[in-house]
Formats: sequence, structure tokens, C-alpha cells
Amino acid sequence: MPESPEHASSAAVETPLVYAHGLAALVALLISAGFGFLAAIELLVPEVAGSSPWLTWGRLRYDHTQGIMLGWLGNTFFAFLYHAVPILTGRRVTSPKLGQWIFGIWNFAVVLPGWILVLAGYSQPLEWAEFPLVIDAFVVLALVLAIVQFLPPFFSRHLEDLYVSSWYIIGGLVFTLFAYPMGNFVPELVPGARGAAFSGLWIHDAIGLFVTPLALAIIYFVIPAATRRPIYSHFLSMLGFWLLFFLYPLNGTHHYVFSVIPMSAQIGAITASTLLGVDVIIVVTNLFLSLRGTGWFPRDPGLRFVGTSTMFYLIVSIQGSVQAQMSVNQSVHFSDWVVGHSHLAMLGFASFAALGGLVHVWQRIPWARYHAGLVNLGYWLLLAGVVVMVSDLTIAGLVEASMWKSTAPWIESVRAAKPYWIVRMLTFLPIGAGFFIVMIGLFAGNPGDGLRAIQQDIGLEPVKAIAPQYAQEVS
Amino acid sequence: MRRLLRMSYLVAGLGGVGFFAMSVLLLGVWPGRTLEEQIRRTQPEHPLAPTASEQRGRIIYGREGCAYCHTQQIRYLENDVKRFGKATLAWETIFDYPHLWGTRRIGPDLSREAGVRSSDWQFSHLYGPRTVVADSVMPAFQWLFDGAPDRPGQEARDLVDYLETLGRDRGLAGPEGEAHARAACNCSDDEKRFAYGPGALNASTSMTRRTGDVPDLPSGDAARGGPLYARNCATCHGALGEGDGKGATGLHPKPANFTEQQYAPDRLSFALWNGVDGTAMPAWRELDRADLAAIAAAVRGFHTAQAEPQIPKEVLDLGGRVYADRCAQCHGMNGGGDGTAAGQFPIAATNFHTQRPDIAASLRALRNGIEGTPMAPWSGELSEAELSAVAYYVRTFFAGGAQ
Repeated sequence: MPESPEHASSAAVETPLVYAHGLAALVALLISAGFGFLAAIELLVPEVAGSSPWLTWGRLRYDHTQGIMLGWLGNTFFAFLYHAVPILTGRRVTSPKLGQWIFGIWNFAVVLPGWILVLAGYSQPLEWAEFPLVIDAFVVLALVLAIVQFLPPFFSRHLEDLYVSSWYIIGGLVFTLFAYPMGNFVPELVPGARGAAFSGLWIHDAIGLFVTPLALAIIYFVIPAATRRPIYSHFLSMLGFWLLFFLYPLNGTHHYVFSVIPMSAQIGAITASTLLGVDVIIVVTNLFLSLRGTGWFPRDPGLRFVGTSTMFYLIVSIQGSVQAQMSVNQSVHFSDWVVGHSHLAMLGFASFAALGGLVHVWQRIPWARYHAGLVNLGYWLLLAGVVVMVSDLTIAGLVEASMWKSTAPWIESVRAAKPYWIVRMLTFLPIGAGFFIVMIGLFAGNPGDGLRAIQQDIGLEPVKAIAPQYAQEVS
Repeated sequence: MRRLLRMSYLVAGLGGVGFFAMSVLLLGVWPGRTLEEQIRRTQPEHPLAPTASEQRGRIIYGREGCAYCHTQQIRYLENDVKRFGKATLAWETIFDYPHLWGTRRIGPDLSREAGVRSSDWQFSHLYGPRTVVADSVMPAFQWLFDGAPDRPGQEARDLVDYLETLGRDRGLAGPEGEAHARAACNCSDDEKRFAYGPGALNASTSMTRRTGDVPDLPSGDAARGGPLYARNCATCHGALGEGDGKGATGLHPKPANFTEQQYAPDRLSFALWNGVDGTAMPAWRELDRADLAAIAAAVRGFHTAQAEPQIPKEVLDLGGRVYADRCAQCHGMNGGGDGTAAGQFPIAATNFHTQRPDIAASLRALRNGIEGTPMAPWSGELSEAELSAVAYYVRTFFAGGAQ
């Protein structure tokens, strides 16, 4: 087995932390998806939880999204960063000891107690901010520590050599630290409509400044690493990056179109949402041109997840631009259409990118187990599940919207939605199984099978040879 | 060259921070100031701040995720205004730390929930949503109760207190408040139309009315009414109209038992259209008139006609004297439910012109009173003979014909 510091699985990568965060991510994923599944069942059989407050729909719903964002995606991003930052910068992260602290805080002071507190009735009724304030304090602490952990390596190197993934990592970590308190603390201090304006900002910043940049960092990283080809255009990648950080934060108010929030702010946000679609077209064009001719689909499971995620990213962003338009928004807002949209974003785009990144870094842990067949099977189950679920919810949203426009009693819109909710609940079978099988795929097989699979394909990428490919040659 | 480049990255980094700051200013701070200004101009002189109980209820509402299925924000849109009432103004949420606007509507918007439902309906609905609304998907919040829908714990009472604040302030502001806000609001004609336009502040079609127009319902088809009844009414009135649906447990007064009451068509169309004020019976204006007529036909069908016994004149005379002495104050000299005291009651006195109880029901009401209404038990006051005489007497007012 190759064990040479020359390789991407080299000593600079904090392998145990990659493994630990990867494991925590997968466990959190199964639990969070389980919360979602239970909530989906309760919409159809509301009595199923009995008279226990702990498993009531509202609390499950809070834990589902917080678990996905912080437990699953957060841990995956950390796993990825411990692998990618040393490779991107040629330097170690600040401290493995600090890494243990971050791991401990993130999982045992944020995710786990957050879940339990919500189930016990301590929460905050704000979207993407449901964990109670005491947990938020630990999230902010962990974000500060993450910045201390991951950013110094970038700055001890010539900045002009930064690859686009590095930009996304820096931007994602720094702006999440800014945005998180705004979404979690400000609405507690500023009441009603004024607070809602900030809440709207955070709803979009959670996806735009935390999830999207780090998911794109993964995609931009995995594509050249797995294909051995530099990305198509560094110029487009930087254009996309700056437009993203300009436009994403300006989207927030589109969650409150036709509200009492000043119309000029609404129109500004709608305009930014439209332009964001254009930006995503630029980003995705660049990514697909980088994938073109590499045989990405059959070649490598990590790459396949990432390529599929890119496709979902395009669809979900264009959908987002469309549904922000007043004519569409007035009908589909408040309906299952939007629930479909957020699953396309968090499951189709972000989780596929995260799975791709996780499989990619996992394969490069020299002693980790890996079973390509199972990961492949998981991919197909997930793909089928996402496509069916999102289509189903989109149609459900249109049905609900048309019921609301009619004079039918409200309950008729609930009755009309039920068949679609049955399908949505059933899509957990492929999705839950997909997650589970991918997880098994990362714990079955022989130690080191991941690396061997890469070697048999195109050989391991040597760090020194590939690092300049990440970086833009400027001078 | 490298220096220059490094400088440009620094500028870019600052620019990035600037983007974020700009978004907060443009979409957070600046709209906030505009809203603040708008609130200052339009809010009533003394908006009613929530009580301690209502505040606790708000926290429970947040904790249980109510805002994730029920919005509290009527948008400036024809459909929202038509269904729920006038669009939400900025000042209506000034006591909400944090706001509970919501972004998903599985259940209806609750911005104007105050006064729409009776509290026994709210409690029954929280305890067992499907016992009052068939096919509801709302969770049952039984842990807020002491084991029964009519035994709410402190938390359930707090929550219902809170629900009764939703839209209350705007209602209390009254026409003067509306006129003041409309004049002071610095908003476009379009916004004015949705926020201050004609039409009810609360557009709920379930809100009961003590007085109101009676729709002229077409003649109903009982066969068509059966399934409609099963869908909308059976939860409380029972599948066979015996007033013993699951929802009946927590309701006081109990839902009507249709098998022992005879109704004139007017009575049913009034109750369906306006609800029964002061009880859990909501109005059903959301259904179309043909459906209401069909339901009325189905309801009348539950009563089985019985052979009317011949009542001796002296019994009716006795009944008449007792009635004039004891009952007329509320039920009216001529049994029209229009006695001098009736107007003071939260629930209208029975109008015997349009409703005739079977003798057993009539006697039972006289002996035991009707729980949850001002109708008191008379068994201690009147002799058996008097009770029975008056029970027969009230049945003579009915003018509903053979319907």
C-alpha cells in the first residue's frame, strides 16, 4: 500500500480528524433524516407519537433541519477541511489538539444537546435557527475556533496563489461567523416585522454563506483532484465567487414578498435573486466544462456525487430565481413547492456535494475501509429518491396553491395534499436506504481499499504535481 | 507587481466584508427604520401589550412549532385578504420577540384568530384536533391538559389566551384607529387597498354572528348531504346525529342531538350560515349554498316523526301559566327566544317557533338545565306536574310545519 508523504493521503492531512468528523457526519445524517421521516409520517398519522411531547411534529421538524445543517453538513465540511486545507496550502492546520476541541464542541455542545433541548421544549421558533440561544453561543465559539484552525495556513502563503476553493473556504467561514449571530440573536431583540427582515436575511445566508460556499469548495476541489485536470477557467471561477458573495446576502427578503417590509427592499431582493440565477449559470458552466470529457460519471463515485450535485445546483438555483418572481411567488409561497425547493437545495445540491467530498477524502485515508459497490448502490437510491421527492412536493405545492385560490374550505387543501405526502413519506425508503448503504460502504471492505481503487484507476495524485493545478498561475 | 496584487486581494477582502455589511444595511437596518417610522405613524395610541399568561402562551406556541404550519402574516394579495382579512400592518407585531411570521401554511393563517372560535372549541382542538376537524393533520397537544379536553392545564390556558390576542389590537383600534392609520400611513394605493380597503378586518368564514342575514337556501338533497355531513359535522354531532361525536366530550354546551329536535328550515340555515354564537358551533360560510342546503336536509333527516299525543287543555293551561311566570323572561312571551333578559346572555335563548324538542328532550332540559348555557335546572323549583306541563307547552309554539 502506498504510504508516502508525496501523496494526497499524506501526513499533512489530519487523518484522524477527517475520520472522526466523517463518522459523526454520517451518524448525524441518519438521525436527522430519521427526524424528517418521522415528521413525514406524522403528517399522515398524527397520532403515531402518542401523547408524548418529545416526538411532536414541531420539535421533530426543528431537529430535522438543524441536524442536517449543523450535524451532517457541518461535520462533513470539517472532515473535508482537514483534508483539503493542508493540500491547498501545503501547510498543516493550526493544531490537531484544537481540532479535538472543535470536534467536541460541535458534536457534544451543539448538535447532541441541541437536539435534546429542542425535544425537551427549549428552542427558538426561527427558521434555520431553532436550537436555543445557549447552543448558539457554542456554535459561534466553534466558528471562531474553526477560523483559528483553518485560516492561518492560507495567510502564511502567497495570497495570489489561492485557488477558488480556498476563497470559498475563507469566505464561508468568515461570513458564517458574521451571519449566524444576526439570524439567531437579532430577532430576539428586534420585534415583529423588523425582526422578520433580519430573519429573512439569515434564512438565505444560512444556505448562501455557509452551505453553498463550502459545498462549492468541495466541488471545485474534487473535480480537479479526481480528474487530474485543472478546472476550465480560473477567471470564471473567481467571477462566480465574487458575484456569489455579492448577491447571496441580498436575497433574504424574498422570503417575505408581499409583506409589510418596504416594497423597495422586496424588489431589491427579487432582483438579486434573479441575478443569482445568472451567477450560478456562470459557475455551473465552468464546472461542467471542467468535467467535460473526463468520463466523470462512471469513473469515480465521489466525482459522480459531485457532478450530480452540480446539476442539482443549476436546477435549484434557476428554480429559486423563478419562484422569487412576484407572479410565481404569490401562488407557490407557503406551499410544498418551497419544501421541495429546500430539499433540492439541501439534499440534491448540498448533500450530494458533501457525500462526494466525504467519499473523496475517505478514500484517501490510507487505513479506512471502502466498498465501491455499496457507495454506487447508495448513489442510485439517493438519486431516485431525490428526484421523486422533489417532483412530488413541487406538484403538491401547485395543487395546494390552486386550492387556496379557490373558495374551497382550508381543510380541502390538506386533504388534497395527502396523497402527495404519502409519496413523500415513501421516498424516505430509497433516501434513508441510500444514506445507510453509503455509510456501510465506508465501513465495509478492507482497510485501504479506497486508495487501491484510485491507484488501479488512474493512480494517486501526487500533492506536488497537483497543487499548482489548483492555483492560478498569475505572475 | 506582486505587491500590487496583494493589495488588490486586500481590497477584495474588504470588499467582501462590505458586501455583507451592505446586505445587512439594505435589507435589515434600512427597512427596519422605515418600518419603525411606519409603526410610529400608524399604531394606535395605546396598543394592548400581552399579559403574563399571553406571553407564556406565545412561548408555548413557539416551542411546539405552531408557526411552522400556521403563518401570522396576511400578505398584500387579493387571495390572502379574501380568505383571512385585512393585510397585516407593521405595528400589529410590535410585541413579538421574536416574530412568528412563518413561511409555510399547512393550516390556515392565524393573524386574525381572536374571537373566531369559542374557547371550548380551541381546547378540544388542541387536545384532539381530529375530534373537531375531520382529516386535520395537526398534532394533539395532550400534555397541556389534565387528561381531558375540558380539563386544560395552565399551559393550555396560556396558549388559548395567546391565540385570543392574534389580531385583537387591530380590532380594538376600531374604525377611528383604522381611519387614523390610513391617513397617516405613507403607503401606496395598492398597499392601502389591501390593508385598509373595504371588507371585514377578519374575513374568517367560521366566525359566529349573533345576528345576521339568513341565506335563502335551495331545497336540499339529503342523499348528497350525507357525505358532506359526515365530512364536516359528524366529528361533533356524531355519525347518526345524536350529538355524541368524539368532539362532544370537551364541548359545553354539548353539540345538538338532531334525533330529538325538529327544526324549521330557517333555523338550520341561520345556524349553518352564522354559527351558534357563544357555542363551539362555527359558521360554515365557506361551503357553498347547495352544500349547506344538502347538509340541512341531512340534519332534518335524523329526526324521526312521532305520533303527537293529545294534550288535555288543562295541562296546557298550567304549562302556559308556568311558562309566563318562569320562562318568558328569556324565551319571550310567545316563545320566540326574545324575552327581555335574553339579550344579556352569551348564548341566545331557544326560539321555540323554529325549534321543537321532543318531549323527552324538553323534559330533560327542564329538569337538568342545559350545561354550558344559562338554562338552569328547574326540578327543585317546579313540581313534576308543572315540569311536564311546561315541557308540553313549549312545543306548541312551533311553526315549522311538517318539514
